Amino acid sequence: MIPLHEFLLRCRLEHESLQAWIAAGWLATPETEPEPAFSEVDLARAQLIRDLRDDFGVNDEGISVILHLIDQMHGLRRSMEDVLDELRAVRETHGGSR
Amino acid sequence: MNEDPYAVLGVKREATQEEIRGAYRKLAKQLHPDLNPGDKKAEEKFKQVASAYEVLGDPEKRARFDRGEIDASGTERPRERYYRDFHGSGAQEHAYSTADGFADLMDEDILADILRRTRAGHGGGQFRMRGSDALYRLAVEFLEAVNGTTKRIILPDGGTLDVIIPPGTRDGQVLRLRGKGRAGIGGGPAGDALVEIEVRPHKLFTRKDGDIHLELPISLTEAVLGGKLDVPTPSGPVRMTVPKGANSGTVLRLKGKGVQRKEGSPGDEYVTLKIVLPQSSDPELEEFARRWQAGQRHDPRAHLEV
Repeated sequence: MIPLHEFLLRCRLEHESLQAWIAAGWLATPETEPEPAFSEVDLARAQLIRDLRDDFGVNDEGISVILHLIDQMHGLRRSMEDVLDELRAVRETHGGSR
Repeated sequence: MNEDPYAVLGVKREATQEEIRGAYRKLAKQLHPDLNPGDKKAEEKFKQVASAYEVLGDPEKRARFDRGEIDASGTERPRERYYRDFHGSGAQEHAYSTADGFADLMDEDILADILRRTRAGHGGGQFRMRGSDALYRLAVEFLEAVNGTTKRIILPDGGTLDVIIPPGTRDGQVLRLRGKGRAGIGGGPAGDALVEIEVRPHKLFTRKDGDIHLELPISLTEAVLGGKLDVPTPSGPVRMTVPKGANSGTVLRLKGKGVQRKEGSPGDEYVTLKIVLPQSSDPELEEFARRWQAGQRHDPRAHLEV
């Protein structure tokens, strides 16, 4: 886990912005025991949000929409991979022919 | 990375900072690895573009580059892992994993079956996934939304969901009930219930943000002589003084009688007066109007210049 100060440093973020991002639901509420700590996923996501905001000029409403769609897309990609795995397995048991 | 940053961004050497920024944004949007999770080459291209912008996006660095004091290399931002790297096969479930994108497809037994099986076998660990969010629509009466209430939703499976409608709930507002969505898979946490509120209109009141508006009919006598009237408000009738000589269209304010707000003071109620004559004509009133000379001289349309 990444402690708060290190997290802010690594994603070049002010504490107030972080709080606003968590309030907006962009980042998950961090574990707070024994002290606020974040995961590597939180960090990567925060960097994505920063790219969208600072580099792409996406406004706040747009960011919520983009994050939601990206998360859904990853869920779908993952399921797609699982379905492909299953198809591969079915093919093998049937001797590789169709 | 020694490519000419101007060529990487596709801009002329004399381009303005604004043009450079525009070119960068356009390319970055196309190439950002998180927006192209399936394109493994996007990351390399994005890095080139980001690195070129690192030099040209800063007028000072750009000037030094133009003078040959620095080259295009050595300025690359050390980028940590991209968000997309935490997804995909073998990746652990985390707070942002969602099955929302295929929740409806999970009703297909075949898909649910495959996912359960392949994921249980994946990476050794038991597959867990947060349940998807469930969406509901709930219509509430105008005053219920203004004053707050509790409503019960009957779910398709026969279960119930108690929804607390906080005072001041707006039409179209979405209430999130944590953990009240669909069950998780493999012991994963349940999703959330998202309840979109539809506020039905009221026959007397309308609402603008925190304020309530009401058109109040008053009699001619009340308008001319003034008086104290009972006025409906969302929290019950309130006695209001109508000043002498009140007119149709006069707006009176009842402070704090609007919508309760989570933060700050409550809104106000605005009462627009409307003079209403008796249904049937009254000989005494007609006689008075005929005799009333000041009334005959009064031209309320004078300013219309018709």
